[in-house]
Amino acid sequence: MAGMIQEAQMIKITNLEKFYRTEEVETIALNKLSIEIATGEFVAIMGPSGCGKSTLLNILGMLDDPDAGSYVFNDIEVAHFTERKRADLRKHNIGFVFQSFNLIDELTVFENVELPLIYTGVASAERVKRVEEVLDKMQIMHRRNHYPQQLSGGQQQRVAIARAVVNKPKLILADEPTGNLDSSNGNDVMELLTDLNEQGTTIIMVTHSEHDARYSHRIIRLLDGQSVMENIMV
Amino acid sequence: MIKNYIKTAFRGLQKNKGFTAINILGLALGLATCLLIVLYVIDELSYDRYNTKSSRIYRVNEDLKLGDNSVQYAVCMPPLAKTLKAEYPYVENAVRLKNAGSWHVKKGNSNILENRVVYADPSLFDVFTLPMISGNPSSALAEPNSVVITETAAKKYFNSINVVGKTLVLNDNTPFKVTGVIRDVPKQSHFNFDFFLSMPTWPDSRSNEWLRSDYNTYVLLKAPSDAKKLEASFPELLKKFSGAQMQAQLNMSIDAFEKSGSFFRMNLIPLTDIHLKSSLSGELGPNGTTQYIYIFSAIAIFILLIACVNFMNLSTARSSNRAREVGVRKVLGSDRKQLIAQFLTESVLVTFVATLLAFITALFLLPLFNQLSGKELEINRQSLVWIVPALLFISLFVGAIAGSYPAFYLSAFQPVDVLKGKLATGFKGSRLRSFLVVFQFSISIFLIIGTLVIYNQLNYIQTKNLGYNRNQVLIVQNVFELNKQAKIFKQEVKEIPGVINATMTGFLPTSNWKSTAIYYKDATLDQKKSLFPQSWEIDEDYVKTLGMKMVAGRSFSKDMPTDSAGIILNESAARFLGFNDVNKILYKSQGGKNTLDNVKKYHVVGIVKDFNFNSLRESIGPVVMTLAENTGALSIRVDTKNLPALLSQIKNKWKELSPNVQIDYSFMDQEFDASYRTEQRTGQIFIVFTSLAILIACLGLFGLAAYAAEQRTKEIGIRKVLGASVSAIAGMLSKDFIKLVFISILIATPLAWYFMNKWFLQGFAYRINIQWWVLVLAGLAALFIAVITISFQSIKAAIANPVESLKTE
Repeated sequence: MAGMIQEAQMIKITNLEKFYRTEEVETIALNKLSIEIATGEFVAIMGPSGCGKSTLLNILGMLDDPDAGSYVFNDIEVAHFTERKRADLRKHNIGFVFQSFNLIDELTVFENVELPLIYTGVASAERVKRVEEVLDKMQIMHRRNHYPQQLSGGQQQRVAIARAVVNKPKLILADEPTGNLDSSNGNDVMELLTDLNEQGTTIIMVTHSEHDARYSHRIIRLLDGQSVMENIMV
Repeated sequence: MIKNYIKTAFRGLQKNKGFTAINILGLALGLATCLLIVLYVIDELSYDRYNTKSSRIYRVNEDLKLGDNSVQYAVCMPPLAKTLKAEYPYVENAVRLKNAGSWHVKKGNSNILENRVVYADPSLFDVFTLPMISGNPSSALAEPNSVVITETAAKKYFNSINVVGKTLVLNDNTPFKVTGVIRDVPKQSHFNFDFFLSMPTWPDSRSNEWLRSDYNTYVLLKAPSDAKKLEASFPELLKKFSGAQMQAQLNMSIDAFEKSGSFFRMNLIPLTDIHLKSSLSGELGPNGTTQYIYIFSAIAIFILLIACVNFMNLSTARSSNRAREVGVRKVLGSDRKQLIAQFLTESVLVTFVATLLAFITALFLLPLFNQLSGKELEINRQSLVWIVPALLFISLFVGAIAGSYPAFYLSAFQPVDVLKGKLATGFKGSRLRSFLVVFQFSISIFLIIGTLVIYNQLNYIQTKNLGYNRNQVLIVQNVFELNKQAKIFKQEVKEIPGVINATMTGFLPTSNWKSTAIYYKDATLDQKKSLFPQSWEIDEDYVKTLGMKMVAGRSFSKDMPTDSAGIILNESAARFLGFNDVNKILYKSQGGKNTLDNVKKYHVVGIVKDFNFNSLRESIGPVVMTLAENTGALSIRVDTKNLPALLSQIKNKWKELSPNVQIDYSFMDQEFDASYRTEQRTGQIFIVFTSLAILIACLGLFGLAAYAAEQRTKEIGIRKVLGASVSAIAGMLSKDFIKLVFISILIATPLAWYFMNKWFLQGFAYRINIQWWVLVLAGLAALFIAVITISFQSIKAAIANPVESLKTE
């Protein structure tokens, strides 16, 4: 299956379906969606509320599993992986950035960023080195011993990005990363993501903001769980 | 990794200080209380186990049935001990104890009254483990007028424990040579004496009578299994040794005696059972009962359950707030196992802290508890051997159970669901939590009812009409010290203004003086027509002084010379004999070789209204009173505003008659109260524990109400925006819990009613009925406490600014 595409392909989903059921209603979140994303791309996913953006991102991030269809990640079919296997794949390959930051309140900046390294079993000395490196890069070293509540929104998102990249993931999934930020802080975050992409990290970002989307190479527009348009940015 | 768990746990706990405090304090308090009760129960269960040979030691009890009378004795015949040792090779040794009553012991010029005096056979130290500090255990009690004393007594009288060879003067005239000093008898002993007089001092101990029982007799068997063998041989033994005496005294053989429906039999009770299971005639001291052991154990388990349920409830309630953290951790690569480990570590950590706190609390509360329970419990190296592992086990167990809900439940969800906070919605929906709240409150209500019942019963005992008037009666003990002047003392005391009357006898409803005798309805001494009552010697002033009432006939009188052969029965005795009138005749054997020739004839002069002389746990037995001089005590009915003056007058009279012996007096109502001290203590302990249980349950409810309110913050905000009033919201929040309390009332009330009747009140011959208002009061109390607890949180949530509450989502 693999190797048919000229550029190295990272993600290929085919006929992906996802339903949400309540007692009376069945909602189709993803309707036979097919998308391919190459390594090194910066893709924005857009669409109105309820179009399935977040569902897609969750499935791409292996936080959720599809009801039907195929999902090939780096040449491996992962659609029906067990949670354990998904967790394993996830922690080595994917970093997440959320709209609401999702930092753990009880941990300091340093400890929040350190967490993924603990879960991947990195030795303590190496952890300190790598966390300091990435905090430095995100320019929040001076806040290393603060708790999330003591930081501004922009700073919190920097910490979240630091946490997402500390493990050097191949893919970063960002769910409206600027949604809770003012425009100045939002621009900073977008610059950071662009830098990361230029250094080789694939980025998939869900956004409502046309402004933010312009940072990407390609925009995939979803409506009612289907891809309705793709814009290639120049 | 563990470090990270502990760090997160610690900071999380710190952040929710209120929750943490409630959770840890509740559990710690529960565990501490439980620990104290366990110490108490273990103490009760450990009686007599200090004896290294305890598993092989038995006491011989005697069952006597005479016609329709039956009595069980803790004492046996004088020659039994030596006979058992001689007859049965598997009886390694035997020892007799005989309570010696009170003695005055001389110290300097004064005589001090000692109550803890006993006669003991020389074999005492071979059977019981009473380590001797100085002296020779095998010969110490062999000679007449020797005494072995405890360390405490030695220090009291000689200021030293090296006193072997020194002399103690007893009752101002009898020298005893100290032949040994032993360590104090452990508190956990069914007998507790300071002076062990050598049995050979007491001439009666050489008696060969097989038809009377007054020696506590213990056997040391070669193996515990010999007990059955020995018991089986008792009938044969009795036939062999008492047969001839019975023939001579009662004019019948043992077979004929048994055939008439009467019997006397012997049985063995293991030494370690005596304290909790034996309450017979002639015990060496008051024993405990298994009833309280059961009740206390049940309370301990209840409290532990309540505390654990609390802890679990609060932990799980809080854990739903942590769904987001679980989600984040999952996204960052934590797998399920790691999350489970994290939550369990955290939970065990908290229980561990609580356990530590519980231990410290128990240490601090122990002196108070000892005061309350009258015990001398301590946490020492021996008890630590079980306390530490037990506490560790409990903290691990409770921690694991409490942590298992978040650990297994939350970690099982799809990370995207937990991240979105989907789990944080349902507080109302948690059936398990509702069940646990009902469970807790049922226990609390059960305990409230139990406490009220016990309190009422004890109150009833104390205010019950006893058939005599115990108030304003001064008892001067041991009037026999005055010898022949006892009568003069009585006369002179009666003349003191403020003294209404006085009666001289040791046989009082509140005293331990007891004596029994056999009376027959006909001169042939037919067992079938016999009465086996308390047989008391009283004087003419007895009935009047003690405020008893005659229901027929009259009391004894000086003007009736024939009263020396007169008898007063109590109602029970009259009923038993079928007498409802006076002028009936009773016969009593005067002993001697040929009993039938030596029968005394008594005529009934009066029937006195029944009065309580035993514990109110037992029903009133028959009493027969004869007119005779008994100088056991002088009971004085007084009526004065100036009691100290009256007392000093009485003391002076005593001093005039007996300058060397100190007067020993007490008040009858105090003696009565003393006999119920154990019950009162138990009642107090029960009340304290129940209050604690309810407090712990309320702590839990308080925490749960807080969380319920927190969970519904958004709902509360929306409702307020839409116009709901504070009271409507407080009501809405309280309703769920109040419903649960009502369910608890429905469950607990019938159970408590049943168990208190069956378990507790059955133990009293004179008892209350559980009134309906007790049940209602308990339910209302629980409801009231719950409403107070919950409404505090509900109102707090309801008056909050709706903008604030809406912002939280």
